[in-house]
Amino acid sequence: MGPIDWWARSRLRTKIFLAFSALVLAVLIATLGFTQLVVSREAQRTLNRELLTTGQLFDGLLVERAARLRTNSILLASDFALKRVIATHFEANYDPATLASAALSYKSRIGAELLWITDETAVLLVTLPGGSHGGQSLAGFSPVKQALETGKAAAAIAEIDGVLFQLVAVPVFGPDVIGFLLLGQAIDDAFAARLRQAAGLNITFLTQDRVFASSWPAQSRDRLVPAPAARAQLLRSQGAQQPLLLTLGGERFLSLVFPIDARLSQPLHALVQGSYDRALAPLRALQWRILIIGSGALLAALLIGIGLAGGITSPVQTLVAGMREVLRGNLRYRSSIERHDELGFLARSFNDMVGGLEEREHIKDTFGRFVSRDVAEAVLSGRVPLEGERRDVTILFQDIRGFTALSEALDPAALLKLLNRFFTEVVAAVEAEGGVVKQFLGDGVMALFGAPQAYTDHPERAVRAALGIVNRLAGLNRELEQQGLATLQIGVGIHTGAVVAGLIGPDNRVEYGVVGDPVNLANRVESLTKEVRATVLVSREISARLGPRFVLGRTAMLPVKGKKQPIEVVEVLGLD
Amino acid sequence: MFVDAPESTITGPPPTATMDQINKTFVPNVLPIAVGTEVRFPNRDQISHHVYSFSRTKTFELPLYKGESAPPVLFDKTGVVKIGCNIHDWMSAVILVLPTPHFAMTDADGRFTLTGLPPGTYTLLAWHEQSREKTADTAQRVEVPANNPELTFHLTLAEARSRPATRGSRWDQ
Repeated sequence: MGPIDWWARSRLRTKIFLAFSALVLAVLIATLGFTQLVVSREAQRTLNRELLTTGQLFDGLLVERAARLRTNSILLASDFALKRVIATHFEANYDPATLASAALSYKSRIGAELLWITDETAVLLVTLPGGSHGGQSLAGFSPVKQALETGKAAAAIAEIDGVLFQLVAVPVFGPDVIGFLLLGQAIDDAFAARLRQAAGLNITFLTQDRVFASSWPAQSRDRLVPAPAARAQLLRSQGAQQPLLLTLGGERFLSLVFPIDARLSQPLHALVQGSYDRALAPLRALQWRILIIGSGALLAALLIGIGLAGGITSPVQTLVAGMREVLRGNLRYRSSIERHDELGFLARSFNDMVGGLEEREHIKDTFGRFVSRDVAEAVLSGRVPLEGERRDVTILFQDIRGFTALSEALDPAALLKLLNRFFTEVVAAVEAEGGVVKQFLGDGVMALFGAPQAYTDHPERAVRAALGIVNRLAGLNRELEQQGLATLQIGVGIHTGAVVAGLIGPDNRVEYGVVGDPVNLANRVESLTKEVRATVLVSREISARLGPRFVLGRTAMLPVKGKKQPIEVVEVLGLD
Repeated sequence: MFVDAPESTITGPPPTATMDQINKTFVPNVLPIAVGTEVRFPNRDQISHHVYSFSRTKTFELPLYKGESAPPVLFDKTGVVKIGCNIHDWMSAVILVLPTPHFAMTDADGRFTLTGLPPGTYTLLAWHEQSREKTADTAQRVEVPANNPELTFHLTLAEARSRPATRGSRWDQ
């Protein structure tokens, strides 16, 4: 069974329920999807902007720090007391310890993390920190190299003992150059951590092969800083200014790389990382909320759906049950649905309709008491043309012989009882063959075959009905004999021919009937039964149309009233 | 321009020279003197100056003073002495302490006249603060008298800028 089939066969209630659920579910999914789309795009855009802003902020911070360092250096280099101390290295009684201690004081005074002092040729006199470098020449070391060449302050980012420093070298004039100051601020984890505090994003200073400093905690750095292979891809992408989405340590990060001008063997970069997943966290929260609200809505919708479906389908089911009742023939059934909507209308219409049916059935029943059910049905169903029609029919007349004597012997009630029993048998026998009892004529009946219900074998049907009456009478007679009563004798005459059939009578008493000579002739044939002492007598027109199974008896040509020519009648004895 | 000569002993009172401070500038910019000369540093400005030198040839300091209250400074070693003012970074001048009293300054066009030399054969040297040539390499011999001989020195000058103090601390480097 395919799903379409299944759907077609599903109950209305299921359909409404499912349609409702599908609608709410679709809205829920659409809402979630749409939210996901819009918010994630917005989150990414915001994060991208933050990354770029952080890069700029960081750039500005470096520049500003360099400027401050430069200002501090120049101020420091202009300090006469310091000049005087530095100048002592020209003297024979030069005392390095004094210079070193003075340098320590100056270093703390300006808050530099590195303070080196060289002589006028860039040979180191004091190294704070970096004791192992004493006596080395910095003539080739940026930024001292530039300061030496230009006689002016110079700045550079360079590595000293594995630590990245922002350095400023400044000549000390006395008034010729008597030495150089090299001041530095470390670009270390602490600096990165400060940047992270300011910008909210993680920053790492790295080259292709080396990580110098990072705001990531040392223990998670291996996980969260891209490995050299990924770094290569990242560093290549720096020109695009387009953040890359990298999954690191199970978390997605948007990563942007900024180049930093530095004197290193490999280009230095600042890597700014923002957690994409964390940026999406509000979205997740929102989605959870939507999901919860949506589920609530779904549940509510389902309950409403169930209620609504029930509200629609339970009266429909009641009507369906009622319809089944009616189909089974219970026309007394009335729907008890009391509503004011379409269903109420439907129920009232149903009741009206069944009421109508019942009334019709009642009429039919009432009709049937006096006329045949077939006639009643034919009239009610409109099968009887109002203008009348010429039909070929068979007419059967039956009469009780010696009825007058019988009516005198029995009291009226017993007589009617007997007659009614007999007529019940007659009607049953006629209707068994599709005929209709058209008229009760005191002690006899007139029956029609072939109208209003048309049969081609109406002569045979009429003869079989006659034989049926005879058989049923035999049973009745046996009962009468047992009660010590006189038995009944009957005569049946049958003839066939064309008659006019239709509704006969004034409007208020109209009834279905046939008129024509064959009717009279059939009556005559019946009256001949007494003369020839036959029970069932048929005209030649009938016997000619009987099959071989009918056992025929005597044949006679007899004169009849109203006919110049005698007619040929045949006695029917029975059926093989 | 000066005559290359072994340092002569000075007898009698030392000669004097003056390095003025006028309008927050040392005047003259270069002051050649013979070794053993006492130089006075009169301050012609209304504000104080703090004249100093960290040069190896002569280290001295005349803390904030006005007028002529600073004592004269005796330059008893030959060499280049770069002086400055502690409170005015832009003020600087050179005192060239020479081994001889026979020297001359060129004018703005580079002309000079050296007078008062006894007859004899001399070696003349040229010195300029921005010279790329070493002073010793400028040596030219001249005989006096020889009809007022004319000598021409060619010096290539470097860009004017601060130089390491030691570089010029000796006139012959």
